[in-house]
Amino acid sequence: MSTRLRDAAIRHLRSLGAATGEGAVRRLTMDIEVEGRVEMVTLSLRDGELQCVSSDARNDGPHVLAALQFVTGMETREDSSPPGSLVSIAAQSPEKSPASELADALDDLLTAITRIGVDKAQHAPSVDAALERLTGVAPKPTPSGLGRFIGRLQQAIRSADLRRVARLLEGASQLADALRAVTPAPEAEQRIGAWLGARPGSKPEVELLYDRTMVEVGREWLPGTERASLERRYLIDTHSGSIYREDRLRNANASLGPCPRQVQVGLAEVEAGPNPRRIRVLQYEVEPDVPAESWDRLHQVASQSFVEVTEEYRRTLQASPSLSEPFALIAPFRIERNDVFKAFDAEGHQLVLDRSERRGAVLAFYELLAQGIEPSWLAGRLTDSGTTVCLSPFAMGTFDGKYTRL
Amino acid sequence: MAHNSDTDSDTLELCLREGIAGNEYADPREALGCDTDTDDAEVARALVRIVAAHDLAQIGIQSVQPEAARHPSVRPPTEVTADPSFLGRLSTTGDEGISVERIDDVSTLLAVLRAGSRRQRRAALARLRERLVDRRLRQSDEVRKAVQTISKLRDVELGYELAQLRAELPGAPGRAARQEHEQWKRLAQRTQFEIRAFWDGQSSVDAFRGLPGDQRALLLMRVSELSDLVVHHITAIIEGSDGCVPLESRIGLITSLRYARDPRLVPALVAVLEAERGELVASAARVLGGMDDARAQPALAERFERSFVAEERIALAGALGMHGDLRGLSELRSSLGEDHPKLPLQALEAMESLGSPDSTDLVTKFLDHADASVAIQAARTCARIGDGRALDELTDRYNATAVPALRAAIEDALSAIEARMELRGEEAATIDWSEVGNKPVPRKGPRDSLPAITLGWRDYFMGRLWLLLGRVTWAIARFESAAARRDDWAAPLIGIGMAFARREQYALSLPAFRRAIEVDRLRIERNPILVRAMAKAFLHRAEQVEREGRDDVARGLVGEVLTLDLRRAPGTVRFELKRKHDVLRRGEQGNVDSAA
Repeated sequence: MSTRLRDAAIRHLRSLGAATGEGAVRRLTMDIEVEGRVEMVTLSLRDGELQCVSSDARNDGPHVLAALQFVTGMETREDSSPPGSLVSIAAQSPEKSPASELADALDDLLTAITRIGVDKAQHAPSVDAALERLTGVAPKPTPSGLGRFIGRLQQAIRSADLRRVARLLEGASQLADALRAVTPAPEAEQRIGAWLGARPGSKPEVELLYDRTMVEVGREWLPGTERASLERRYLIDTHSGSIYREDRLRNANASLGPCPRQVQVGLAEVEAGPNPRRIRVLQYEVEPDVPAESWDRLHQVASQSFVEVTEEYRRTLQASPSLSEPFALIAPFRIERNDVFKAFDAEGHQLVLDRSERRGAVLAFYELLAQGIEPSWLAGRLTDSGTTVCLSPFAMGTFDGKYTRL
Repeated sequence: MAHNSDTDSDTLELCLREGIAGNEYADPREALGCDTDTDDAEVARALVRIVAAHDLAQIGIQSVQPEAARHPSVRPPTEVTADPSFLGRLSTTGDEGISVERIDDVSTLLAVLRAGSRRQRRAALARLRERLVDRRLRQSDEVRKAVQTISKLRDVELGYELAQLRAELPGAPGRAARQEHEQWKRLAQRTQFEIRAFWDGQSSVDAFRGLPGDQRALLLMRVSELSDLVVHHITAIIEGSDGCVPLESRIGLITSLRYARDPRLVPALVAVLEAERGELVASAARVLGGMDDARAQPALAERFERSFVAEERIALAGALGMHGDLRGLSELRSSLGEDHPKLPLQALEAMESLGSPDSTDLVTKFLDHADASVAIQAARTCARIGDGRALDELTDRYNATAVPALRAAIEDALSAIEARMELRGEEAATIDWSEVGNKPVPRKGPRDSLPAITLGWRDYFMGRLWLLLGRVTWAIARFESAAARRDDWAAPLIGIGMAFARREQYALSLPAFRRAIEVDRLRIERNPILVRAMAKAFLHRAEQVEREGRDDVARGLVGEVLTLDLRRAPGTVRFELKRKHDVLRRGEQGNVDSAA
């Protein structure tokens, strides 16, 4: 590529807006069509250097060249419009509903990542631009479902985890379809609710719970549009064994109390959506000291069949590949602790720990095992390493009614 | 669009991994059953759908993947440069190699207790405890020496372990320790009651907010003996899920847990590292640094790698150093090497765990620092590094300074370096204590006349008598009269200070203590009862004025008392004074926040 062309482009980008004080240009993104193929080209100025890349992952392809020629060509054109009279693109384009804009942004994100490839997506300006556009058109503040999707997607892209990226994008694609539907089916409405919260005019499907005893067994901070933007607490109904998640955005309110705690729920709302279902505790009493009987109850309601746990995990992910982050409470029939921890159910099926997440918790769990402590139940987030379902441990109980938060 | 079912899923995954644009070897259109001119957006959706469906269908088909079943490595590799000396190789536990658990020689254990790292000192104390359990051994000279040393030891970092051990000793130290434990039990019971009332909705005030600083320090010193209810309440405050405790008190509580080792606190502290910023992170890191828990190091390392705020990074580097992870050392060294380093106090504190003899020069230059607290910290860091080359600098500074606290810190440093050199097998430096010790202050003016002495004693005894009878005003008048008769007589001034301090009239006790310090500082510093009453009076008065919003005055009071040699004051009071000093200093400099 001609150095003169690049220098001219740098000069022109620096001059844009500088004269009028309207703000400096740091990045330009444009769709360029060459020989019938449209690519998104991003020109960005970083530390005085011009970086050019097109969505076909080329730095010096015909689309990049055309974009540079277009930019440098602008230098010679006279701008006859008076300052401040620019008409926004949104105003020029035909009116689009916010839902439709969001659906387009999700599709653009999917296309940008698929074009550039998962391996190169982390540093691709086109993916950054698509994510920015997505957060730009999303409702403000960013709903927790969408925020969590963005956080998980960025994490999966950073670790180049192809399978996870595919699942997340598939979920995004399903949401885009639901948003475009003129009269969404109940399932689509539920999906939209899980991602974006209830829409005005829609009737969210909510289950009311009365007089329940729940025990919080774990909590964690999760990334959304920013690091650690969402706190998630895992509550287990000691009667039914149902697992709920209580999500709290940073600086927002949720039920009070430490972890672990026993919550006497007078009234709570449970949203329909991905597992574990989201709960809003409305009337409650907190006991920071969980009675031994409640720990016994957890042991009794814990899953004892790992085949069922695996099936449930798969079903949940198929229903909501982007948002579901299943959590499980298991009671191993027996454990092996020779070198590696393995939990077995009565039929001999195994479950192992996920070593890639919550490394400290896994190490602490192994230290407890080394001290001879035998778990009667284990609570943790379910993950998978391709074909194997694993458990990322959050808490364990022992036969003597003791609890350890990991 | 009809998907070709025979398509190799690996090819489609390759397409998604490599990207479908500009990749002539991986065009999935045919495999997906698309036309060659199908739009990229449509191809992308089809590709993602098929890859995801195939992936989801695979879940659970293999019960245990070999990769998933691997044992996690116990500790991640770090850039630790091993210290080949005896102390460098001395582990706290274990049957292999050199471990404190296997040392029988009491002198060696005592040397480790003076010169070792915090973990080594704890282990040495635990080993001594085992040895002292055997009553028959108590008769031996070396064990008697150990008992004496333990009775006199004023190591704030080992407050809990020392209290446990002293409670098992015979005689006065044992009685005092058992009495303190009883006091703790009553305090813990009262706190538990208040916490229960708080969560039952009968009280809206957090139990820790009303506690005086020294009592809170005493309560939290034995945090591992507290019930689950109290510890869970503490974790709720640490995580900010109690609903009423303000940020400043939250930071205060975490700093009060500085030397706690209870594993029940770890998840909440890790959550603070993950989600919070600024001083909260720095305080949590300092607590986690001292925890022997597998969760601490990964959380500290993860936060260190993404933190960009100096305050956080220094605290995280120091905490990692305590876990044997030296990744922050070079950064700290370059920071301290600057002409005007940022946060020198915190950096020197972090060097306690990271420093090696290579860092001695960097640290000793701060012994001359204009801020006495920085100079005192430099002396403490020298003690932990234990390099004999610092002896001359320390001795010179000792003779030059007029700040008693700095002299005390240097005395401790000299003693620790001496012990370390002994453990390294080096020729122990001969420290001429007569040369570096407190020299007698030359008396000013003529001696008091015999009538002045006699009348002075008469007034003094009358004052004591009135005090016994509860006539405080008359007693104070007599003490004042006694003090006026003789210029250099501290006893009546101490009497006034103690009388007010016992009645919790701290504002009135301070002038008397100040005058007594001016007249005879050593007498107060060397008497545990006097130094305790004086330090508590300053602390409680600082708390009072702080509550009134006069932080500058509180800062001045705490700073003033910390220039004295407080080694004979109770560890909890010293700990609380230091903690309050740090908090008030931070208030002076303004909070440093960062993006998490």
